[in-house]
Amino acid sequence: MNFDWVTAHVGMPLLKILILLVPVFTVVAYMVWFERRVLGFFQSRLGPNRVGPLGLIQPIADGLKLLLKEDVVPANARPFLFKIAPVFSFFPAFVGFSVITWALPWVTASGKTHGFVVADVDLGLLVILALSSMGIFGILLGGWSSGSKYPLFGSLRSASQMLAYEVPLTLSVLSVFLLAGSFRMSDIVAAQQKLGGYFLFPGIVAFGVYLVAAVAETNRTPFDLPEGESEIIGFHTEYSGMRFAFYFVAEYANVVLTSVLAAALFLGGYDIPFVNDAALYAAHPALTSLLGVASFAVKGALFAFFFVWIRATWPRYRYDQLLRIGWFVLFPLALVNLLLMALLRLWLLR
Amino acid sequence: MKALARFAKMVTFWELVKGLGVTTKYLVKPKVTELYPDKRPVLPYRTKGRLHVDIETCISCRMCEKACPEGCIKVFPPPKEVFKTDKRPAEFLINQEHCLHCGLCVDPCPTGSIHHSQEFELVVFDYRELLFDKERLPCDLDQPRYRWNGLENARAEK
Repeated sequence: MNFDWVTAHVGMPLLKILILLVPVFTVVAYMVWFERRVLGFFQSRLGPNRVGPLGLIQPIADGLKLLLKEDVVPANARPFLFKIAPVFSFFPAFVGFSVITWALPWVTASGKTHGFVVADVDLGLLVILALSSMGIFGILLGGWSSGSKYPLFGSLRSASQMLAYEVPLTLSVLSVFLLAGSFRMSDIVAAQQKLGGYFLFPGIVAFGVYLVAAVAETNRTPFDLPEGESEIIGFHTEYSGMRFAFYFVAEYANVVLTSVLAAALFLGGYDIPFVNDAALYAAHPALTSLLGVASFAVKGALFAFFFVWIRATWPRYRYDQLLRIGWFVLFPLALVNLLLMALLRLWLLR
Repeated sequence: MKALARFAKMVTFWELVKGLGVTTKYLVKPKVTELYPDKRPVLPYRTKGRLHVDIETCISCRMCEKACPEGCIKVFPPPKEVFKTDKRPAEFLINQEHCLHCGLCVDPCPTGSIHHSQEFELVVFDYRELLFDKERLPCDLDQPRYRWNGLENARAEK
């Protein structure tokens, strides 16, 4: 076996995964802190500010507390599925990060290019969609294997909610695909750079549909019926300790993933606003990549803030309202928009 | 025109956007949380904290002892010969553990030597630490002395 092949296909991806996982885990952990702090500010409180400066060690304290709690498996539960279900939720949420391109590739002195992406697959968006559909299994299995009524109902609701919102989400992402002509993340960003503006403007309807569907997909307020965080009656009622933490972290990882995805699809990803990226990249490649990551992070943070903002503002929808919005409003809207985008693609953006 | 405005409101989800505006106002408003250990609260003038006794002005009349509904004050006057010249109590005990902070002992005091202080942190590890005797009863003259029937309070409060 060729040594270069091993380096290129095993060594480098593993290294990249390690390099990616550390910031992703940190961001997901601090998303919890961010949400609690900002939610506190919205409610005239201060939020957690006791552990460390500004409460910055709070996520670690929370994690340790959950880690040290007793691992309870209910007597009625199906033990194997009960134990493995959180992993089904946890795993897809983190794998999704692997196909996102974080910046323009970095060229070494020897002429080798290293992309800021773990797996630059040409169906990147589809991979994320498929993985987000897999996340339902964790919720369904967890609710069903708990052997209790509330989790079962919670997971059933979750399944129908996810089905109802998966379709508009996919359709809105498809319209981005039509505009860009590719499922590869770097191509989508490149298409936005070529367009001179972001897909936010031609795809404003798709953007709206994506936002609403993403909030519903991540089970957050105002669509947090499966979880019911305020009543703790949802699919993870019977979970405690580390297994609950898995669901919890998966939810926040999904929030971060959808925020990053929205930034990439509609706000130009790592494109630096008001700057000619190609010219800057020709002059200072490393600087452009770093600034690109920073601008990507800022754009993602905007969406993360939006997620917290609407949680602090809007009350929860009733269940029938939720499904009606999904099937009777978002679905036709996304479908018509897809048609319009196709026409736009045919006549204007050839 | 009216229908157009309604349509515009419907398309822009005006109610939802208005809600976002309301919460944003609260985001930047000052917070109501008390930062107690970091920032000491400014207590009101009438705060009924721990009882302080000015032993030097006390005349051992035992009015406070009789007024106390909990019986947590014990005053021991000095021996008769001493009392003729020096009326300061031989011993003054306050069991702060039983104290209701009702202020009934403060009103009858003819010299105003027993009074509430602003001291409110009375948590101790051993309940015996809450039994204050003559030596441990401090008198902080800087502390405001509030009396419910006193005329000077009216002046002081102004």
